[in-house]
Order: sequence, then structure tokens, then C-alpha cells
Amino acid sequence: MNLTETLELIVLVLYFLGAVLHILAMLVRGPLLRYGGQAATLLGFGLHTVDIGLYVHRYEAVALGQGPFYFSLLAWTLIIVSLVLNWRLRMHFLALTALPLALIIYSFATTLPTVEVVLPESFMGLWFGLHIGTLFFSICLLAMAASSGVVYLFLENKIKGKAKITGLSKDLPSLSLFDQVNAWAVNLGFPLFTVGLLSGFLWAHFTWERFFSWDPKEVAAIIVWLLFAFLFHQRLVNGWRGRKPAKLAIWIFALSLVSMLGINFFLETHHSFQP
Amino acid sequence: MNQSICLLGLNHRTAPVEVRERYALPDVDPREQGLIAPGSGVKETMILSTCNRVEFLSVGREKPGMALEILRFWAEFCGGDVHELQAHTYQYNNLDAVSHLFSVASSLDSMVLGEPQILGQLKQAYRRSVKQGTSGVVLNRLLHKSFSVAKRVRTETRVASNAVSISFAAVELAKRIFGDLSNQTAMLVGAGEMAELAATHLLSAGVKRLLIANRTHARGCELASRIQGEAVLFAELFERMAEADIIISSTGATQTVIQRRDVQAIMKRRRNRPMFFIDIAVPRDIDPDVNNLDNTYLYDIDDLKEVVEENLSQRKTEAAKAMVIVQEETEKFACWLRSLDLKPTILDLLASGERIARKELKKTLRRLGPKADDPQVREALETLVLSLGHKLYHQPLDFLKRRAREEDAGTRYIDITRRMFNLDNEPPAPDAHPDRRQPKPDED
Repeated sequence: MNLTETLELIVLVLYFLGAVLHILAMLVRGPLLRYGGQAATLLGFGLHTVDIGLYVHRYEAVALGQGPFYFSLLAWTLIIVSLVLNWRLRMHFLALTALPLALIIYSFATTLPTVEVVLPESFMGLWFGLHIGTLFFSICLLAMAASSGVVYLFLENKIKGKAKITGLSKDLPSLSLFDQVNAWAVNLGFPLFTVGLLSGFLWAHFTWERFFSWDPKEVAAIIVWLLFAFLFHQRLVNGWRGRKPAKLAIWIFALSLVSMLGINFFLETHHSFQP
Repeated sequence: MNQSICLLGLNHRTAPVEVRERYALPDVDPREQGLIAPGSGVKETMILSTCNRVEFLSVGREKPGMALEILRFWAEFCGGDVHELQAHTYQYNNLDAVSHLFSVASSLDSMVLGEPQILGQLKQAYRRSVKQGTSGVVLNRLLHKSFSVAKRVRTETRVASNAVSISFAAVELAKRIFGDLSNQTAMLVGAGEMAELAATHLLSAGVKRLLIANRTHARGCELASRIQGEAVLFAELFERMAEADIIISSTGATQTVIQRRDVQAIMKRRRNRPMFFIDIAVPRDIDPDVNNLDNTYLYDIDDLKEVVEENLSQRKTEAAKAMVIVQEETEKFACWLRSLDLKPTILDLLASGERIARKELKKTLRRLGPKADDPQVREALETLVLSLGHKLYHQPLDFLKRRAREEDAGTRYIDITRRMFNLDNEPPAPDAHPDRRQPKPDED
């Protein structure tokens, strides 16, 4: 087992430990377990950053054209987004979604065969910085909004229906905090998604001399953007809150997942991860 | 055990309020009244007197008729009749009295199970008995133990968690919706007593602002000045309601005051910021359909009652767990009471000395190396340390035996000895002086 493989294994173990400790902390209401989970997550995240740094250092421009690297980067972004939201909103609950999801994506990244996409070197920096970076951040924000949305709907149903709030539900944060995650995802995520999409079209224009090529991935991205724009507009202009934006965030995230996993793997697209 | 503990009392279950009032003993000093006097049998006493219970806790010599003596004193002092008093009182002796006191301190015997006030009242009663000089070795220990049992019950069970009053349940629900209430504004529609209580709870939970809209503006202003709120004109109700996140309605109106369409318009002006309506009026003030709007939550008195009853039943389940703790602690206290006789203390003290001696002998033999294999050396050393261990306690034991012959001093000195040599192996209290946190004498 070489250094990279060892590092990847340690990161996986730490994310797994972080997820398990966070779940246990929720079940037995133990703050010590949560601190342990946070420590494991931070350590895992630090080593994950080193792993990404080593990958880029070793493969340089070629790294940016490999499927596993993108998934690793997506898992890394998910963790950093959850850490920032946790820091800003004091919402430990997000770790319960971010860690298992990051664990799945990162495990996937470590097992995925390397597929090289040959890209013009001159566009690498722009491509990576804007298209991938911004899209990943907005999708990770959407993931947090979607998971918060699911719990929001569950808790709101209980409060509206005057049902018993017992067991784990008693320890959940307030409805307004869940809604705040949605607000963050929309206010920050939509502009980022827009920048990501525009930079992609510009890159396509410079590379293939056309902005849009009716590629399934591009069509899916446009649909996601339209829904995201609708949500952004409704929150900003019509003051949408609570149930409606929670539901819409879940749908948009689900569609993003279909676009990322379904289209990239199973359809013919220039975003394909198929060899 | 030559000390007898007797608890005589009446509470909300055994006596109606007028009887509880008649036999209340808030300021009596039993020493001044001659209850604690040579020959009376009562050596220590403490009186707990609250609106729901009056309890007379006494420690004395094992003597038949001590309870009746106390009852007579109690009835005479209150100008009542001993037979009437007896008909409403319960009596617990020795360990039953200990167990009952622990239950009272842990609020397992209260009208509202788990309410925390009783512990404060018990502490106050104990302070008064200390001040009056009516508490001694047994009561001091018993009361301190009851405080720590109450703490253990609160920490290890959820008997005191969950709201069990309408107004507190409303505050808990508001927190579930808004989280921190420090940025929230509440509004009272109608200034009834229940609404005022809920408002007080909301204010103590940190609500930023309180608006009061009452049909009689003067009454609204009066309440506003009392609870530091802001009175608003009833005519401006819907205008000002948009500022409020939590509405508590309790008007005497016979028909609904707040309709769905009113709230719909207000929600538009608030850009859908959530609103929590608490309707505690009967008949109801708020159209139930308001609950079907997005981001509005409406609870009426029946909904809140259900929450309270649910919480109460949860508390009852927790109370069963708490009773196990009470029984466990009663057993421990029984051990301590038994140890107040001279013989167990002598045996414990000698055993403690022997334990220390054997520990030191083991260390010395280790240091001696091969020389320790000589049976003669071992025997000589063993005789030396064991006789030292016993002889060092000769004077203290002689002193204890002499004090035990004096009626009052014996128990006190036995207790002091047990504490001095930590014969009960008790960990020091968290708030104990740092000196007490030193290792035990037989520790390495």
C-alpha cells in the first residue's frame, strides 16, 4: 500500500468514525461523543486536503481531467460547506448528512477507474476555479438545504399536527434554524451556480466555439438553474419561507444527483466518466 | 439504633386547604416553645411548612408516645384539636421517614410531580432549624443527604424535564419554532390572568418585546407598566399584530376575534415570517383554520393541555426510576444510622487501622528484598505494625466510650470520628474545601 492509498484509507476511517460518533452523540445525547466526532472530522478533512494537494502535485494538469479526483473534491467541498454552516449556525445536525454523504462519495472516488479527459492546458485554471469550484460549492449547499428540508418537513408536520415530540425529535434544532440553512443555500448557492454555468458555457465557446450543444448534461444543468432561479426569486421577492423552499430544495438537489450520477455515467455526454 | 426518627405531616392529599392553613407552622421555634427540653424525648426537629404541606420531622430517643406528644404540641400551638389534626396527618417512622423525606426533596411527592420549588423550601426550613439550634447530628446528615438525593434524581432521571404547565408548554413550543427567543416580539390580546402568566414565562425566556392589546386600554396600560410591556390600542390590533411573532389570545369574546383572512393579510406584510398563536380563551378567539396557513402555528388550550398531560405521564414513568434511587439512598442512610452505635464504629476504626498497617507492611517487605523471606523477620514486623495499628486508636476509642456514656455527646462524637477517619468511604462533596479532596489515609 503506497502513501496515497494509506492516506485515503485513513481519511475514510476518520470520516466513518466522525459519522458514527455524531450518530451516537445524537442517540445517547452525549456532547463528548460529538466533540470526538468533530475532532475526527477535522482531522479527516485536514488529511483529505493533503491528499488532494498531493494528487494535484503528482498529476498537475492531468489530475483535473480525472473522474476520481472530481469526486474526491466533491466530498471535500461537502465537508467544508458543512463545517462553515455549522460554525455560522451552530447546527451540529448537518454533520449527520455531510459525513455519510462525503464518505460514500469519497469511497466511490477511491474505487473509480481513472479516466483521463484531455483538456487544453490554457483553460485549466479558469475551468477548475470557476466551473467546477462554484458548481461544487452550490451543489454541496443544496445537499445541506435538502437534508435540512427533509427534517424541517418532518418537524413541521409534528408541530402543525400537534403530535407528540418525543425521542430524537426533542433534540432537533428549531424550525427557523432549518429554514436558515435553506436561505444560505439559496442566497449563496444560486449566484455560485450561475457563475459555474456561465463559466462552463464560456469554456465551451472557447474550446468548441459554441456556447450550448444540447448535451444532456447541459440540458439538465439548465433545468436545475431554472428551478434554482425560481427558488431564489421566490425567497427574495415573495418572501418564501419554510415548507415551500424546503420542498423545492429537495427536488433541485435530487435532480442535481440524477444529473451528476445518472447522466455522467449512463448517457452519452461530454461530461462522461465512462472510459 | 438508639435514635428514632419520626415524621408527622399533612399534605394536599390528606388535608383540604383550610386544614393546611390552620395547622401551618411557618415561624414556630420548637426550642423556645419547650418541645425540645430535657425529658421531652425530642432531641432534634425541623418543620417544613408550605402551601401544600406541613411536616414535622423529629429525632429522639426511642420512646412510645413521642408522636402523640408532638401532635399535642402542634395542635395546641395552632389552637386546633388534636383529634382533627390526627385525622389528617400521616406518620412515618425511621427508614420510612427517611424515604419519605428523600421523595419530598426530589419532588416525587409534590402536587406537580418534579416541580423544583420544594427543594428550595426544604433548604429554607433546614436553615431555619439550624438557626434555631434544633438540628443535630442526625438531622444535619439527613437533610444534606436529602439535598444530594434530589440532585441525583434530577441528574439521572428526566422527572423534572418537560413542561407541565400550560404557559410553560407554550414557551417550549415557541422555542421549537423560533429557537432563541431573544429577537422575538410577543403580543397579548386580552390581558387575562393566564395570558399574563404566559407572558411572564415568555419574558423570562428572553422575549425582546411585549405588546398588550386589551379592549379596556387602561387595564392594558396597567399591565404593561407592571410587566414592562407596551400597551397598544385594541383598534390597532391587526395593524400592530404584524410586529408580533408570538400571539397569546385570551379575550372574553363570545366569537372568534382573529380570522384566517386577517392572518393571511398579516403574513403577507410580514413576508411569511412565522407566527405562533396561543389561544387560551374559552370560547376560542382564533379561527382554527389559521393553523392551515403556511408558517403559522396555532395551539388552543386543549392542544396545550394534551402536551402537558403527555409530559406529566412521561414524568410518572421517570418517577418510578427516581423511586429506585430513593430506596438505594435510604439503604445507605440506614447503614450510617446503624454505625452511630458505638460497637460498629470501634470495629470499623480498628479494621481501618489494620488495613493501613497491612498495606505498609507489604511495602516494607518488598523493600527488604531477600531478608523478607525469613519467617521470623516477617512475624516480628507483622506483630509490630498490627499492634501499632491497634494501639494508636486506643486513646480515641477510650475517649469515644466515655462520651458514649453521656447521653447527648455520644452520637455527636461517633459521627465526628466516622467523618474524621472517613469510615464511610464517602467522596468529598464537589464544593468541599480543597483540604478535603486530599487522598484517603489508606491510599498510597
